Amino acid sequence: MLILSRKSGECLVIDGRITVKIVRVEGDVVKIGIEAPSDVPVHRQEVYEEIQRSNQQALTRQNSPLPRLPRFAGAPVKTPLAATATQTTSKP
Amino acid sequence: MNSVSTFETEILAAPVVTEARLPMGLLGFERIKDYLLIANASEEPFQWLQVKDNAALAFVVIDPFLVLPDYQPDIPQADVEFLGLQDPHDALLFSIVTVHNPKQATVNLKGPVIFNRRTMVGKQVVLANANIYSIQHPLAVGEANA
Repeated sequence: MLILSRKSGECLVIDGRITVKIVRVEGDVVKIGIEAPSDVPVHRQEVYEEIQRSNQQALTRQNSPLPRLPRFAGAPVKTPLAATATQTTSKP
Repeated sequence: MNSVSTFETEILAAPVVTEARLPMGLLGFERIKDYLLIANASEEPFQWLQVKDNAALAFVVIDPFLVLPDYQPDIPQADVEFLGLQDPHDALLFSIVTVHNPKQATVNLKGPVIFNRRTMVGKQVVLANANIYSIQHPLAVGEANA
């Protein structure tokens, strides 16, 4: 791991397109400002890992049985109105 | 007449398949970007977010507003811009369902998958108010009819 010392108000530049600024240091809390292109996701690590784990647990096979939800019987499902919507025949 | 009725029945039974793109993938699945959103009438209120080139890989998804009617997802401004949402109605939200067993399922309300319904380009968004929502919100499976 690369370890650098920075003072409050100083920045790092990563890959010429991501700027990390040390905004403020208060006790053991460091406020960091990140400027990155919109296609570079930035997450708090603990939240990222929690959702990553949840996604991995949720990954399934299409023939998995779905739970029965009597509460929702007949509830309307939102259908996206995208131009790409197509009808296909169901597979056995 | 008979042939017309049969044809209509087949159309109703067919799944509605919509191509959907997640340019950043899902968290933990960053490299998988192309999906099919599959809705079968018989499986309501669930739909499938299936990996486009691998039918064996899929996520069960549900409209989070059906799970929690007063759900108030706060979408960070950067994500609003990334998705090109010009109006709240542009946003099409799905929560990923984890089916633990046929009688137990939970829903991720912290990180919904949000599409711009006009483009079907989406992103798994960590809500600005994620702290008030559960990543394992229980689905009321097998409860008496409400």
